[in-house]
Amino acid sequence: MRTASDLKLGEKAVIKDIDNTHPSSHRLLEIGFTPGQEIVLLTKSIFNDPIGLSIRGTIFAIRKNEASCIII
Amino acid sequence: MTPALTKNKIPLITLVGQPNSGKTTLFNYLSGKNFKTVNYPGSTVEYSISKILSKFSINANILDSPGIISLIPSSPDEKISVDSLFSHPKFGKPEIVIITVDSSQLSRHLYLVKQLIDANFNVIVVLTMLDLLRKKNLDISESKLSSILGCKVLKIDSRTGKGLNELLLSLKDSISEISDNEELFPEQLVNTQKEKLLESYRHIEEIEKEVLFRKDPDNGNKNFDISEANKKLVVLNSVRLPNKPDAFTLKVDKFTLHRYWGILIFFLVMAVTFTSIFWLASPLMEFINEVFSLLSSGSEKLFGDTLIGNLISNGLINGLGSVLVFLPQILILFMILGLLEDSGYLARGAMLADKPLSMIGLNGKSFVPMLSGFACAIPAIMATRTISNRRERFLTIFIIPLMSCSARIPVYALLIAFLIPQDKPWIGGIAMASIYIFSIFSSLLIASLVNKFREKIIRESDSSSFILELPAYRKPKLQDVLNNTIKNATQYLKKAGPIIIYLSLFLWVLTYFPNTDPQVNVTGKTAEEVSELKNSERIMTSYASSLGKIIEPVMKPLGLDWRVGVSLIATFAAREVFVSSLALIFKITEEGDNIQASILKAMKEAKIEDTGEKLFTTATTTGLIIFFVFAMQCLSTVAISRKETGSWRIPALQIIVFSTIAYVVSFLTVTGLRFFGIN
Ligand SMILES: Nc1nc2c(ncn2[C@@H]2O[C@H](COP(=O)(O)OP(=O)(O)OP(=O)(O)O)[C@@H](O)[C@H]2O)c(=O)[nH]1
Ligand SMILES: [Mg+2]
Repeated sequence: MRTASDLKLGEKAVIKDIDNTHPSSHRLLEIGFTPGQEIVLLTKSIFNDPIGLSIRGTIFAIRKNEASCIII
Repeated sequence: MTPALTKNKIPLITLVGQPNSGKTTLFNYLSGKNFKTVNYPGSTVEYSISKILSKFSINANILDSPGIISLIPSSPDEKISVDSLFSHPKFGKPEIVIITVDSSQLSRHLYLVKQLIDANFNVIVVLTMLDLLRKKNLDISESKLSSILGCKVLKIDSRTGKGLNELLLSLKDSISEISDNEELFPEQLVNTQKEKLLESYRHIEEIEKEVLFRKDPDNGNKNFDISEANKKLVVLNSVRLPNKPDAFTLKVDKFTLHRYWGILIFFLVMAVTFTSIFWLASPLMEFINEVFSLLSSGSEKLFGDTLIGNLISNGLINGLGSVLVFLPQILILFMILGLLEDSGYLARGAMLADKPLSMIGLNGKSFVPMLSGFACAIPAIMATRTISNRRERFLTIFIIPLMSCSARIPVYALLIAFLIPQDKPWIGGIAMASIYIFSIFSSLLIASLVNKFREKIIRESDSSSFILELPAYRKPKLQDVLNNTIKNATQYLKKAGPIIIYLSLFLWVLTYFPNTDPQVNVTGKTAEEVSELKNSERIMTSYASSLGKIIEPVMKPLGLDWRVGVSLIATFAAREVFVSSLALIFKITEEGDNIQASILKAMKEAKIEDTGEKLFTTATTTGLIIFFVFAMQCLSTVAISRKETGSWRIPALQIIVFSTIAYVVSFLTVTGLRFFGIN
């Protein structure tokens, strides 16, 4: 199962689902990471974590660990 | 029609909205206030309330609140907003809720709008950031949005005042429609089910398709008539939704968030910020120095060597002057931080810092509070409210007093000036930068140690998270930044000024009495020598001296005496006082010289009473600097730390831990330097 944390730089993907068991999953849904939306991996910092994802025209920095509950 | 409501209560209008959507900008416009508005999600962390300016002829209170994502708060700043929405402890429920909606991020922001409408609030939607939306070649139909949502929708730009008249008119309407029997019953309970949330977003996507239009490029000029243009616009139904971030931001981020460049730029930005404090400020400091030495020598001429003259020139003018000299540095620090915040870069800084900070138990969101700790610990500690994890938040609060706040600038600058050769001022900048770097490293070290023992010290555990919006880059609004800088500087003066004056007066009394007219041997001495002898005799037999003698044993290991001890005690009220109390205790009354030069001269001449050794040496002065790096000498910080953590545990630990470290490390420094032959 691929998640947003596996994306390559510049890669686009469509969200399939959000893993409910993750403590941040509700917040991610609230800020617009909903199934069907397109995300793009825009930046990875030198430590590879956090990563910058675009969603609904906004850029969000989230931790890899949190990105791993975004199933693509 | 008389609104029944005004009989008992002025209506309350609450501003809510997602972070960085323009609430405070609108609040400032309506209230005439000058609160901080910057391009960082989470700039407001406390609600503020004000009456609407009388020129708008609306009799109502308006409340600004920290940004929220949804009605289910996940951090303390969000909780403040949600609590104040459902029932403000003092003002009750809001009669009207204005929601700011960033129209360039429509769907995400409409989510909150829907929640508020569902929760039964009396809602007015204001669309902001239309300029950003139009940059994407899109526009929005407020009338359609209004009819779909069933509430008023208006377009505004509170930076220019555009659309504000319409907002005021509709506020007046809304207020006159309120009546007693139509009491609102907002429901606190909001559904947290995923299905409900997804359905809400599906509905929002429908709305988005309905109301967004592709802008006709020909009408892209500034002064187009919106209603006219609307007719010419093409409905976007078939066109893809605007899911591309701002193009300029994407380009800049290619560098600032580049794998390697990004970190380089980060260090460069930080380095430029801190070094420019010293390079840019020096001409201004020169000027203030001159002004105060003129004042001081003027007052001495005017009053002579009398009690009053001594009080005014020694106690007041020199005391104030020695601190005001550093105002330029503080102004420049605030200004650069403001520019950085308003450009949108700080959110990137937070992102880059998250990984290293999380390894020592902090969070990327600790970055901005820590950075503002270099200006002042009090707003910095409040700014930690954006950190949702309690352990990380408390740890951030714990180490913020170690950030080298602006009140320490006068102390360091004086002590550095003492240490370095007069003809090489550039060394001063380097020395100052080293102090900053030293304080950053030691605070990180302490954070990681505390984190190791966190079960015992912080006693909080919940899951850690870092989700931060990276706002679009913007050209900083110089006017806003300047306003903010001036406001901060005034606050600094208001806070420091009275303390310095009162403490100076108090210290002056302690050093002047009881032996006001000491008897000295005058044979064969000039008038000047007599006056000096009298001065020193007076202070040796003063109350301050008897008090100071009690703490002298504690000062001895640091190579210092009771006089520095008294000054150090005074600094527990506020650090800046150190310089003014030195000026007072060492009785600087040189004419012609500027204040700083005469304090330095007095310091060079000062000797320890019983041994006759020099008091201020390279070793003891370095030791003093180290002491100031660690010591928790600020009552307001203790108070805010108590308030924000909700108990005395953290502030008490801060006082004990930091004072011990300050003393021990300072002692080790002095002893170590002496061991290597540096005195
Ligand atoms: N381009 C543009 N910028 C705006 C507009 N309104 C406000 N801003 C800017 O947007 C930034 C954020 O505004 P604030 O008023 O601080 O936002 P806020 O909603 O109070 O933010 P938080 O307190 O963090 O929740 C500031 O830099 C403002 O100058 C607008 O209509 N267009
Ligand atoms: Mg605000």
